[in-house]
Amino acid sequence: MSAFGSNPNTPDAQAATRAREWQAALEADRLPGFVTTRLKNAAAGRTPWLSTMTPAELLLSRSHGIRPIATVSGTCWYHFGWSWTEGHAEGWHKALGRLKDEAIAAGANAVLDVKLRTTRLHGTGSSMDYTVVGTAVAIEGLPPSPDPVIATVPAIEFVRLLEAGIVTTGLAIGARYGWLTSGWSTLGWFGRSADLPELTNFWEGIRRQALQDLRRDAAPQGNGVLAHTHFSQIFKVEQNNQTPQILGRHIVLGTVVQTSADRTVPHTITPVVDMRDQLSPLRETAPRSHTAYGAQADEEGPI
Amino acid sequence: MSDASTSIPPHAVERLKGLRGQGHPGGIFTSDFSVNEFLLVRKAGFEPIGLCVGTCVYHVGIQYGSWGQNQELTKLSQAMYHARELAMARMREEARDMGADGIVGVRLTVKRLEWDANILEFMAIGTGIVHAAGHPGFKGAEGQPFTSDLSGQDFWTLLQAGYRPLALVMGSCVYHVAHQGLLQSLGQIGRNTEMTNFSQALYDAREIAMERMQHEATEAGAEGVVGMELHEGSHNWKPHVIEFFAVGTAVKPIAAELAPDTIPDPQLVLSVNS
Repeated sequence: MSAFGSNPNTPDAQAATRAREWQAALEADRLPGFVTTRLKNAAAGRTPWLSTMTPAELLLSRSHGIRPIATVSGTCWYHFGWSWTEGHAEGWHKALGRLKDEAIAAGANAVLDVKLRTTRLHGTGSSMDYTVVGTAVAIEGLPPSPDPVIATVPAIEFVRLLEAGIVTTGLAIGARYGWLTSGWSTLGWFGRSADLPELTNFWEGIRRQALQDLRRDAAPQGNGVLAHTHFSQIFKVEQNNQTPQILGRHIVLGTVVQTSADRTVPHTITPVVDMRDQLSPLRETAPRSHTAYGAQADEEGPI
Repeated sequence: MSDASTSIPPHAVERLKGLRGQGHPGGIFTSDFSVNEFLLVRKAGFEPIGLCVGTCVYHVGIQYGSWGQNQELTKLSQAMYHARELAMARMREEARDMGADGIVGVRLTVKRLEWDANILEFMAIGTGIVHAAGHPGFKGAEGQPFTSDLSGQDFWTLLQAGYRPLALVMGSCVYHVAHQGLLQSLGQIGRNTEMTNFSQALYDAREIAMERMQHEATEAGAEGVVGMELHEGSHNWKPHVIEFFAVGTAVKPIAAELAPDTIPDPQLVLSVNS
């Protein structure tokens, strides 16, 4: 099957056309024609569907009338001119917007298993890539949605939540930073134990504001947020002979859900005793594959 | 529950008594299955016959991108694809020689050789399996053994879902991401803004890799691709050169597709020994 020669190859002229189409599309905030064509073909069943689902998820999707259509994605490479923190909110929002555009073109009702990713290229300075990738799906008997829901959970969890009347609808982001310039000095506290109220208030204030942003971002999407990712840093910044300042920043991301209060969970749950001695899929913590804020995001940067 | 001694099959009892079996005309089988994988592959009605390996040591040429231009490095894309395809073909050949219906648990690896940065070693390894009752309907495209990167567990689950694997499909795109010009950089000082040339490069490279994978799936006559993954990697190339590699298992419905309502719902369990 070495079909490379007949693959959609990109000779120079074709590549140049593609580049022009990309540029025009990104500027006008729409999709290039060839992407729309690929998604429309997949939606109509003219080309094989592409799915990040595992076989277990495929099995569960089939029995629940969910049909994979295509892998959809969105990328935004963002330059932090004045705020690293707020750049994160904007970068993810843009990427999510593009993912949604692709999902609409694919005639989807939902995008499942949406993963957040970042790539870093050497020497790109104060900028970074925000990429979201997921599987667009159609739900049997429903017309294509003008506003597909975005689920940052795998298909297995999406279905389990659906059965309990909970729809995961999107991703909300809250990002705030702040400077503390005076009143936090530890001079004079040498050898004593005491709390530092200025620093505490400052730090708590930033967190509160970030959570407020999160709530505001989630409100149009649903009635609850499962805030699974918190990323916060606090630095002391010293410049020349000025008083050192404190920079604090907090980023919080969460899956937005729409629930109705009167629904209960219909499943019966079987308690089991797991007899394995070491690693067990029942007791192991799931890998954090749906967030880009792992250990590697622990970097210093401007505000 | 029946008494344990009567529920053990006779040949197992023989072996437990210390008698070595005369069976297994093809000798012993080899596989890198875990115990659970082995059980589930058998539960699916298959037997492992042997490990299949294909390798390819490949000298990857050199190609430079223009400093300020987003472009695919087609020579490198083709080299990366060709080398993997050779390794896969060799693995498939081994499987065919041992009479396997297909290979599950295929792992593709790329390793750079220590003494030369341009020499990459590609390896494909998996376990060849055969249908225990000799069912002919599980071969891949053109009567070749099927290939799949699904584990034994996933293989069983896939069959339960009413699909069978056809081929491990992949698409590769090595891409040079343009450097930013000085004027553009100056224009961005102090502003939070998108860098569209970078966005475009990543987008385009991913799109090309996926298109190629999808094309392979079409060629194989698949209905869809499961377990698709996108990898980004740089194999010791220049800083702005990255490879996007899409890989997944192309699948097809089993002749008489299972009705969705016959698929059993998984049960929820909670481990109580915390």
